[in-house]
Amino acid sequence: MKVTFPHLGSMHIFCKAIAETAGIPYLVPPETSRKTLTLGVLHSNESICLPFKIILGNFIEALQMGADTIVMVGSGPPCRLGLYDLVQKVILEDMGLHYRWLTIPPRLTWQAIWKNHEETKELRKELTAKNILLFPYGLWMGWKKMMVCEALEQLAMKVRPKEPKKGETQKRFKKALSWVDGAKNPKTLKEAARKGRIFLQEMEQGRSCIPLKVAIVGELYTVMDPHINRGVEQKLGELGVEVTRTSWFSTHILRSLRSNKADRASERIRFFEASKAYLGYDVGAECNVSVGEAILRSKEGYDGVVHLMPFACMPETTASGILTKVGKDCNIPILTLILDEQEIEGRIQTLLEAFVEMLEWKRRVA
Amino acid sequence: MEKKGCLGIPRALMFYRYFPFWRTFFETLGWKVMVSNGIRQKEKIIYFEDSCLPMKLLVTHAIQLKDKVDHLFIPRLVSLHRTYMMCPKFRGAPDIVRLATEGSGSIIDETIDLRKGGLSLFQSFLKIGERLNASKSESKKAFQEAEKSFSKFQKEWMDRINRLPTRQLFEIDIPIPPAGRKAPLRVAFIGHPYNLFDTDINKDLLTLTKRLGMEIMTSDCLSEKEIDREVSDLSKEIYWSSGREIVGSLFHFLSGGVDGVVFLTSFKCGIDALLQEFIKRRLKVQGGSSTPLLLLSFDEHTGREGLTTRLEAFRDVMEEQKRLHIAKCKIM
Repeated sequence: MKVTFPHLGSMHIFCKAIAETAGIPYLVPPETSRKTLTLGVLHSNESICLPFKIILGNFIEALQMGADTIVMVGSGPPCRLGLYDLVQKVILEDMGLHYRWLTIPPRLTWQAIWKNHEETKELRKELTAKNILLFPYGLWMGWKKMMVCEALEQLAMKVRPKEPKKGETQKRFKKALSWVDGAKNPKTLKEAARKGRIFLQEMEQGRSCIPLKVAIVGELYTVMDPHINRGVEQKLGELGVEVTRTSWFSTHILRSLRSNKADRASERIRFFEASKAYLGYDVGAECNVSVGEAILRSKEGYDGVVHLMPFACMPETTASGILTKVGKDCNIPILTLILDEQEIEGRIQTLLEAFVEMLEWKRRVA
Repeated sequence: MEKKGCLGIPRALMFYRYFPFWRTFFETLGWKVMVSNGIRQKEKIIYFEDSCLPMKLLVTHAIQLKDKVDHLFIPRLVSLHRTYMMCPKFRGAPDIVRLATEGSGSIIDETIDLRKGGLSLFQSFLKIGERLNASKSESKKAFQEAEKSFSKFQKEWMDRINRLPTRQLFEIDIPIPPAGRKAPLRVAFIGHPYNLFDTDINKDLLTLTKRLGMEIMTSDCLSEKEIDREVSDLSKEIYWSSGREIVGSLFHFLSGGVDGVVFLTSFKCGIDALLQEFIKRRLKVQGGSSTPLLLLSFDEHTGREGLTTRLEAFRDVMEEQKRLHIAKCKIM
């Protein structure tokens, strides 16, 4: 047995940590590249959303390298994410690839647990008692690593506009992530987190300025994964913008566990309430949160909002229509970037540069 | 009965299934129902958002109507089935229209969510009646009338679709002409109802089909049981009612009963894009089907000429297939 999982920002570190700690054989798919995307595009059609293509590409590459068990996060209606597994299974079957599939249920209902039980029946035979015993510890370890990764990323977003040399923060952030990834026990993880934090904080002394503040909102995959959004976060940071986002992997896990205690969850509820001025119903996925966040950010003194969505994404298409109006009403510039498989990295750079220049001008005038 | 006022229904989206119901309901309540006209030569599609063509048409139709009527009827269709739901775009549709019309008219956007229970449709319509100042008993009577005329409409569906021009399919007061000559080929048309019956989207494909000597079947001719049978063994339930209907009826028709199947989709439709891939791959994995399948994708640039050619070619394929089949039966 060899387990594999999709890339999603730093989510693969989380999955890897679980498998590693519990002693389950695993294979991390090769880093998302042009080839990954090409494979995904080749085996789907034009109006299917970009995350589908990238995840499919990840799976194809991993299966070709020898993985045999796919672990995929599930989701519920009404967005298409919930049916990814149904379609991807048939596509992989048609390609003649052999695999076993395990969906992590999006919500812990009896029905989902039962289905999971059925799916893991075969798999559990191959696991040793040690694997199963160590699994909760693995989960804990993975969660801890996840939190460290997210804290580091948040720090990187904060210090990036002040870095002395362009691109330095990104280099250091990558390095810090690899330390976290390499940590084998709680002690080394703590050490890696501390080291990474100091390493990144050194960047803050570079320049002293009040950076522009921009919030990134939109569909969760495009917001979280730099391969899908072509590094919008990094690009904005290097243009001297302090970027904020509220969509993190842990946010969505906590949300599906229905834990409303966390600050992030309550923040989402605040955004949802704010969107009611424009949307009379929960459209699904991130639509209402995107709209609500843009409204509230304009009141919190942010300079602009970047809205990310994959081409033909159903809930976000509605959001983008409404956001054009929100931008006018709340007097906040909103840039919607629609992402698909086209090579548009250069275009995104130009768009962002123009956007940032406009924000600077707006700040000067005001 | 004196008319209370004028109520506008955009000729878009689920108009193409439930109009007879809506119309009877409002007319029984004493309202005049006005329907938008659609895109004629001079009028253009209004691009308020970058959505699929049916959604863009909803906005266009609503803007056409908004100054001529007292209320616009654009219900928030969350679910039209007790377990499954509609596309997420439907949930935001009234809000999009409200922004596009700049809040100038009154929009009746009552939520319809059948997952809430058996009586939820009735309750939604009671609320709609309330918005129109109708008493509970008036609304109840109107609802019963509407149900009656809708079930009559559904019974006549097969005759209606084959004998009436596409624009008149949903006009319940137009009598059905007598049957003509029996068409030699039977073709199933699968897709969202608005793709099938909106002549602005499909350039009146149905009339073209009839002229080429084909009899039309749709998924409305199938019972829910027949559709369920085809989709019950999937590894995951398709949670959109329309998607479920499309996949179920497509596999049902492909397994026999018709000479060909045409699947209509509109560009950028999320549900169709995903399911289209699923259907193609599943057919391939299962070893194909002997019934020919034609896939047509529509957007605002689709031309009538290209469609005619494709449909004629498809007819030839079907005829050939039929001839082969008959020849095979004779040998055996």
